[in-house]
Amino acid sequence: MAEDKKYTKIQELTYELKVENVMTKKVVTVSPQKTIYKLRNILHTKRISGTPVVDKGKLIGIISIEDFMKCLAKGEINIPIEERMTKKVRTLYADEPLVHAVRKFDEYGFGRFPVIERGKGKLVGIITKGDIIKGLLKKLEIDYHKEEIHRYRASHIFEDIVADRTTLTFHYNVVGEDFNRAGESASGLKRTLSRLGIQPDSVRRAAIAAYEAEMNIVVFTEGGKLTVSVETHRIKIEASDSGPGIPDIEQAMQPGFSTAPERIRELGFGAGMGLLNIKNCADKMNLTSKVGKGTHLEAIIYLNQR
Amino acid sequence: MITLKEIIQKLNLEVMSASGDFDREIRGGYVSDLLSDVIANSKKGNIWITLQTHPNIVAVATLKELAGIIIVNKRKPEDETLKKAEQENIPVMVTELSAFEIVGRLYELGIGRATENAKEV
Amino acid sequence: MILNEVKEILEAEVIIGSDNLKIEVKIGCAADSMSDILAFAKPGALLLTGLTNLQVVYTSEISDIKAICFVRGKKPDEKVIKLAKSKNLPMLMTHLPMFESCGRLYANGLIGIGYLDIKKKNG
Repeated sequence: MAEDKKYTKIQELTYELKVENVMTKKVVTVSPQKTIYKLRNILHTKRISGTPVVDKGKLIGIISIEDFMKCLAKGEINIPIEERMTKKVRTLYADEPLVHAVRKFDEYGFGRFPVIERGKGKLVGIITKGDIIKGLLKKLEIDYHKEEIHRYRASHIFEDIVADRTTLTFHYNVVGEDFNRAGESASGLKRTLSRLGIQPDSVRRAAIAAYEAEMNIVVFTEGGKLTVSVETHRIKIEASDSGPGIPDIEQAMQPGFSTAPERIRELGFGAGMGLLNIKNCADKMNLTSKVGKGTHLEAIIYLNQR
Repeated sequence: MITLKEIIQKLNLEVMSASGDFDREIRGGYVSDLLSDVIANSKKGNIWITLQTHPNIVAVATLKELAGIIIVNKRKPEDETLKKAEQENIPVMVTELSAFEIVGRLYELGIGRATENAKEV
Repeated sequence: MILNEVKEILEAEVIIGSDNLKIEVKIGCAADSMSDILAFAKPGALLLTGLTNLQVVYTSEISDIKAICFVRGKKPDEKVIKLAKSKNLPMLMTHLPMFESCGRLYANGLIGIGYLDIKKKNG
């Protein structure tokens, strides 16, 4: 799973990064009148395998080490570059996402693309596959460090605090009947718990329980609170509202039992499984309710201590 | 041609409501948990696969003249649902398989291939 | 099964993740009920659903769903697409009904949620 995540992360970065972020800006160029023989020296001393041909600031062609080899074989080393260069040059724009560059490398099989400024046609850089890899690795490293810092900070909080007992508490306000936001709290909680370094299975169970509790508040009440407290040995989720209350808790716990209107069912909720889901995810669950006053739900998930 | 009776045997379904026509030929299926969608898009004679268990599913099946209902994930229909199903002659079955899995097997039996659906339209 | 195969088999359109089609989905999950997805979906599953609201994205995130394919030609609105993008969740859309979608994927070797559990039970 971690492998897959890295893969998607790289894919994501190829969209995020632009050609100009990874290209080489100092471009070695040659003028068209130079001879093939001179080209040899340039390629050799600069340790490059190809270079754009520029005339009065304008890109007019590209010439590579392969072109040079062909000329050498034919003994044409004293003719001007412009007679043997590739004139139809494929280029990339500086502001294109990197994924376009990756595609073009795949498509044409070239070793490099000159990069030009959109609209002006001015040569601003050159990009090779190596540039792409280096650029991605650099960005990946930066992002990785950021995430590591998050995780480090969070998982060491408990160790850094000197107390007989430490509890971290997170509060989420849940707005009733707001389906634009319903799910946000549980989503935020999931991210938070992951960053604390809690085991994925426990994170998942806590997130599911919190999500169902959040949805119950959204669907049935005018709003309420989700409070989650974390200690080294357990996660406690509390959901409370001052809504209509549940008349018969035992009945409400039955699979399939639901008082949700059809409108809610059409949204994919209210199938009568929510409380059962919470119960199945939690190691301990307690539900109290008073009709007309509100409902209080508590779910505890024990953590394996390492 | 395959009948409801054969499907029940082959897929090991548990029959919860046994009144109705079990020798009826099943040509197509419909999977959905949204009643409005079933009302809008299912076709007469379809076998309906859902995880809903409340009495409204019988009303929908009757309205659309569906061949029967298969409830998935081992969920038990409510008593009221079964009472209604018996009155309305709608066969109700339960499976412990998920919707994806049971549909895959129905499809294997030749139910609801695209060509058949196309013929019905 | 990789996402690109799902796309081909279901004649699907890619809404998000066109450059991410090599990721693998291990299990198929067909549901229009959030609670069922939460209760039964295994991490790494492909979710087939007719629901297109924001909560499908949240539910998928909470359940560690790998990718979503909307059936019956339903396309989510911009709000939903934006949220899914922020969570890096690939989304496809097929014009096929749910029945046909499940059938084709199953016929091509994608297993359902119950399969592994039942196998375990039977030894």
